Amino acid sequence: MLRCDHCLLEFAEEKAVFDTVKGLEKAFCCHGCRGVYRLINEEELGEFYEKRGSSWTPGPPDESGIDIPAFAETIKEKGEESEIDIFCNGIRCASCVWLIERLLLKTEGVKFARLNYATHKAKIRWDSSVVSLEKLLKRINSVGYTPKPVTQGGSDEFIKARRDLLLRFGTAAFFSMQLMIYTTALYAGYFQGIGSGTKTLFQLLSLLLTTPILFYSGAPFLRGSITGLRNLSFNMDLLIVTGAGSAYLYSIYQIFIGGEVYFDTSAMIITLILLGRYIETGAKARASEVITQLLSLSPKEARLVIESAEDGQQTAEGISNLQYEMAPVSDIKVGNLILIKPGERIPLDGTIAEGSSEIDESPLTGESRPVSKHRGDEVFSGTQNLYGSFVFEVKRTGEDTVLSHIIKTVEDAQARRAPVQALADRVVGYFVPSVLAMSFITALFWLFSGRPLTEAVMNSVSVLVIACPCALGLATPLAILTGTTRGASRGIFIKGGDVIERAKDIDTIVLDKTGTITEGKPELAAFKGIGISDNEALRLASSLELLSEHSIGKAIVTGGAGMQTYIVSDFAAYPGRGVKGNINGKAAFIGNRTFIESEGVDDMLSGELTSWIHAEEDSGRTAVYLSYDGNIAGIFIVSDTIRREAHESVKEIRAKGKDVIMITGDNRKAALSVAKEAGISENNVTAQKSPSEKAEEIMRMQGKGRRVMMVGDGINDAPALVQADVGVAMGRATDIALESADIVLMRNDLRMIPETLRLSKTTYNVIRQNLFWALIYNLVAVPLAIMGMLHPIFAAIAMTLSSLSVVGNSMRLKRV
Amino acid sequence: MWSVLLLIFFTLCIGLAAWLLFLWSVKSGQYDDIEGPKYRMLDDDNDKKK
Repeated sequence: MLRCDHCLLEFAEEKAVFDTVKGLEKAFCCHGCRGVYRLINEEELGEFYEKRGSSWTPGPPDESGIDIPAFAETIKEKGEESEIDIFCNGIRCASCVWLIERLLLKTEGVKFARLNYATHKAKIRWDSSVVSLEKLLKRINSVGYTPKPVTQGGSDEFIKARRDLLLRFGTAAFFSMQLMIYTTALYAGYFQGIGSGTKTLFQLLSLLLTTPILFYSGAPFLRGSITGLRNLSFNMDLLIVTGAGSAYLYSIYQIFIGGEVYFDTSAMIITLILLGRYIETGAKARASEVITQLLSLSPKEARLVIESAEDGQQTAEGISNLQYEMAPVSDIKVGNLILIKPGERIPLDGTIAEGSSEIDESPLTGESRPVSKHRGDEVFSGTQNLYGSFVFEVKRTGEDTVLSHIIKTVEDAQARRAPVQALADRVVGYFVPSVLAMSFITALFWLFSGRPLTEAVMNSVSVLVIACPCALGLATPLAILTGTTRGASRGIFIKGGDVIERAKDIDTIVLDKTGTITEGKPELAAFKGIGISDNEALRLASSLELLSEHSIGKAIVTGGAGMQTYIVSDFAAYPGRGVKGNINGKAAFIGNRTFIESEGVDDMLSGELTSWIHAEEDSGRTAVYLSYDGNIAGIFIVSDTIRREAHESVKEIRAKGKDVIMITGDNRKAALSVAKEAGISENNVTAQKSPSEKAEEIMRMQGKGRRVMMVGDGINDAPALVQADVGVAMGRATDIALESADIVLMRNDLRMIPETLRLSKTTYNVIRQNLFWALIYNLVAVPLAIMGMLHPIFAAIAMTLSSLSVVGNSMRLKRV
Repeated sequence: MWSVLLLIFFTLCIGLAAWLLFLWSVKSGQYDDIEGPKYRMLDDDNDKKK
């Protein structure tokens, strides 16, 4: 097996395309890769290959064509230059951004090229008399990215909303800063005396500065409270508007009668709450990308086989002579034959009619080992063909494919997830009516005690003003911000505050088996030599497997690390079966049982060995056979080991009084043996579940009133991650799992789960304390307002103190 | 008193200028991509050798 220097795909040596680039011999899987590699190097962009590292996910470029007229509409002419925004598909990392920008800038005529890493949108300015748009787009396409015209998409809307919020908050902040200058002067004047002319001037300036805050920055709250009132609900917006609005109107009245003003209260309420909202929106940015990413797994076009000679006798060589045409996937019907070449993604579900290959099904199953597929085996949409070519008969199209089912499950689960009411909103639900009632009672009280109407109204308004807790807007977001920052510094990424609220109520933790409880990569568990010593067998095997790229081979090499290896000649790999080579002039084979038998090695295992192998296979492990010089020479047992900290972590979670449940797509026997080792009781093991069944299982638990946290790492876990109250993706999880999860653990360490639970609980407690501190000062000041004894200085002190307590209390989280 | 009024006028002007600068920076999209620049910084700019 060789690895293509450009796309990193593995391919058989005989198919290699060799080329000398910059004096170095390079191997490619196809002429396309060779061409791109040359192009990139000729443009002096060879650095790209160093930047991307080896963690690059190989995949064929999106082959959908470029529709030039669609772009033409979005070109903006700016004098001699043209400008366009385009959307680039296929960007995965910062090196992609670098590559595209450099490639464009090196093109003659391009004046400006900048790609937004967050939105994948590029802005290009170029001289259209020097270079055509078509050429630019083709250049982007030639390195494997697909330019798309910018249409009104979801991410655009989001950027716009966020910009709007930032503008409103920024404006409020600038005017509040100016306002503070005059407010400070007025407070000083309250204590030390101030000329009435100056006082009025400062009050008018304050009015001037507060007006845009209230009516521009506060406009969303005004709209929100009107909508709320129409539905007869008391929402947070209404409280903000009543507080800020009454302070504003009251102050205007006070200017006329020469009293004290409260413009600062009005401005600060709005500014602080906008800040809170701005902090909140940041984390939710990528939610809608899950589905786009899932959809991008299935290709848009396929090679439709045209009436082949249906003698059923076609061999692998026969496949290359087939006639085919490119057809859009949407036109393909059940029963059609599709040709798949190495490295391509499979567009639809079906069964292989001719040929065989190895398929990487990890996007669907999370299983990293390639699965070998032969005639009659099922293949699934979205999985990637690795080595061979084959023809398959389409069995399911469109909505019916397994991939579509997963997409639909994720969509459904996301849509069904009710918007979690922020804790502050719940408090507000009681708070607003009671404040309104109190202010009404105050008015009545003063009227009945025989005071004039104006005094009664003034006192009741001052109740409204003082009761509006401006620190309330900061109480939740600030605690969440410090809590999530604290988590991030330990490798726990929490997406949003609602997650924290849900995480603290979790009573059931569901763990996926492969990759979560186990390492997800095979290790050599045991080995035995037959006719030779155990160590000799391992030495032979690791010498042979040293040249193999397969994960089981690597497990054996790791197992034999430090041993001196033999020199192997005539090495050859048989994907899905094994490898062979010559050691000391004698033929050596290592692989699965059928491979060894097919190579003419007689199976001469004793009954004792056979039952040992069976026992190991029953507990979910894999046996690999070594033959040397025509005789069976060793047995290697490879297993996916359970994480070292699994037992301890499960114990810790259970000590917190929470249930631990294991769920897996594997067979029950393998599941039980892992569960036993991890200390999970047999009743809590659910085996042989498909991705959507995993989600159903979680739904069933939720139906029983449980609050479920799901921990997993593959696409196959994605529906379950979304369905669960809290989805947690572990370390090397697939992109889809990362996107669907609420919490992402950066390290593959199960101990982080109890830590996450602890962190969310502490954060939640801090939120509650913050709400208390935000409200308590106001509650103390309200009686004073009712009594008509409220001095502006009390209002100022209450406001400052409650804000300081909230900030100080939140900072405690930094030391949790 | 005139000096105070003058100073008030100045602060309002400076504040207004800062606000307009802020409006311009947001509208020109400087806050849209807060993820990319941290990587961009690490790219060696080979072009500057010219």
